[in-house]
Amino acid sequence: MLSINNLHASVEEKQIIKGLNLDIKPGEVHAIMGPNGAGKSTLGYVLSGRDGYEVNDGSATLNGKDLLELEVEERAREGLFLAFQYPVEIPGVSNMEFLKESVNAMREHRGEEPLTAAEFLKKAKAACKQVHLPLDFLKRGVNEGFSGGEKKRNEIMQMILLEPSLCILDESDSGLDVDALQVVADGVNSQRDGKRSFIVVTHYQRLLDYIKPDFVHILADGKIVKSGDASLALEVEKSGYAFLGKAYEESEA
Amino acid sequence: MSQWLSEVIAEGQRQTDWLAGHRQQATEALANIKWPVRRQEAWRFTPLLPVEKRSVSLAAAVEQHGSAPVIDGLDAYSVSFAGNKLAAQQGSVPAGLTFTLFSNANTEQQATIKALLSQVKPSHHLFGQVNDALMTEGVYIHVPANTVIDTPIRLSQLAASVGDQHLRVLVHVESGAKVAIIEDGFGDADSLNTFVSEYVLDAQAQLEHYRFAMYTQQAMHVGSCHFKVGEKAQLTSNIVGYGSVLSRLDVDVEYTGEFANANVNAIYLLAEGELFDLHSTIEHAVPNCTTEENARGIVGDRAKAVFNGRIHIHRNAQKTLAELNNRNLLLSRRAIINTKPELEIYADDVRCAHGATVAEIEEKALYYLLTRGISRSQALIMLNFGFIQELITQIPNIAISDWLLHSLRERFVSMEVK
Repeated sequence: MLSINNLHASVEEKQIIKGLNLDIKPGEVHAIMGPNGAGKSTLGYVLSGRDGYEVNDGSATLNGKDLLELEVEERAREGLFLAFQYPVEIPGVSNMEFLKESVNAMREHRGEEPLTAAEFLKKAKAACKQVHLPLDFLKRGVNEGFSGGEKKRNEIMQMILLEPSLCILDESDSGLDVDALQVVADGVNSQRDGKRSFIVVTHYQRLLDYIKPDFVHILADGKIVKSGDASLALEVEKSGYAFLGKAYEESEA
Repeated sequence: MSQWLSEVIAEGQRQTDWLAGHRQQATEALANIKWPVRRQEAWRFTPLLPVEKRSVSLAAAVEQHGSAPVIDGLDAYSVSFAGNKLAAQQGSVPAGLTFTLFSNANTEQQATIKALLSQVKPSHHLFGQVNDALMTEGVYIHVPANTVIDTPIRLSQLAASVGDQHLRVLVHVESGAKVAIIEDGFGDADSLNTFVSEYVLDAQAQLEHYRFAMYTQQAMHVGSCHFKVGEKAQLTSNIVGYGSVLSRLDVDVEYTGEFANANVNAIYLLAEGELFDLHSTIEHAVPNCTTEENARGIVGDRAKAVFNGRIHIHRNAQKTLAELNNRNLLLSRRAIINTKPELEIYADDVRCAHGATVAEIEEKALYYLLTRGISRSQALIMLNFGFIQELITQIPNIAISDWLLHSLRERFVSMEVK
């Protein structure tokens, strides 16, 4: 599904990702944890193709396609979905218009007919319900005036509607209370169908109680320094990142 | 005085047709004016250098010119002009009004035209005087009292490379009458085009007016629309500007009767390196009139837009309601907007508001839409076209609204964000 090899990336000439390797097979859930500044969010931006995030070396392929050669929107159409930590507010563009455009862009890419307004509305209403957002959110500007939790749920709703093959959740748990966390986790779990894969970026083990990972990786100073199963997250929860030793101290400095 | 202006005067004096008297007044005035330099407020941001060095070129007939784009679904009487001559016409003159070409006017019509000419247009417009001196074709439209004309009239000016054009339009909408008139201009050929229109709206007249200055590249355009709006009359004017080496439009609205209103919507969409300058002046000379003016523009790389919107509320013009708003989006650090909304208020019981904003493309929002698979061009339209689209969808004529939406979207998508 996703294969990252020796990835090096920089932002404004500062090296952030320094030789990252990661292989994800269909249906797997990989959690990425790590101290602040390790490059967790950067990884999502680099994979999605954000301007200003420059790849200096290495490769990344999704379903056999060279991701790094594609434009942002093409990566999305190939099945990459990034749920943002801080989704942007776009007043003046309604959530409905936005969701319809994106769903139909994906359909067009797959060679399917665009959904009619009525067909789309039906789907959107169901997705809205699934993440416990009132229907009038569809009419409001994209994320406009949404609370932190509502924005995160809106991200999950988009994920449900767009049916990507690889989902990167960038701290989708931050700022959520337990109830909202449950909603987000339920949304994610509903999309686990044995084929769709997930990268769950988080600071806290808490989210992983709800979304059970197959693998846990510790990212520090731009590299994966330790991998394990779900028990690794518990270890981090208990004793922090001190076991990282030198790499951790450097990244904290 | 510029070389060009001396030639204009000489050429105006040479003409000996039935408009000679009118031309002479203009040439006399032109002989006494100072050629505008950039210290002069009216031309501060729009240099006239490209005009100064030109020669006057009035070809009787031009062979090469484009045609006005078809507006699908628009059922209009359409007439287009190139080189000051009728180039094409389509449809027939709607029943109920009279449509007279200056070149075909009989003695009686000539007298009517002469009596109306320059009665609406303020004399301070330099290029208005040039049009007075050099016009060789014009249109006079008369809509008798209480006549409702359903078929719009479309007048197109086609810029052509061997002939400058100085087209004049005179429209008299009598009391209680209603009509829609579309004035547009197209072409990219090296030429100078003036297009001056004057409108008299009698009491309770209704005018749906359009002016699309879609000249591009080397086609220079200095045009103007002037309106006198009578008691309880209603004017809606929808303006669209593209830019060329020099494109300038002056709009003057003067209320001559109470309880009248004007709604002016202007859009400009400037591609790389283009210049468009819109000056509007609304004269609230009488009480109880209402003005709403919205000018919105998108300015591309190295392009320049100038907007000067003046609302002048005279001492006795109590109970005036006036709103003027200008919004701009710059697509590059090298895009320029010079905007100046001006309210001059001498009455004390009025409600007025004015404002101007300038924004840039929101990179974060664009990235967000792209990560959802939306194409770059569609994302740009969703993010940045809305405020223009809003004005287009208000246009009462669906065919024109659809055509504009399509044309402007296409133009916008082809513009680069830098």
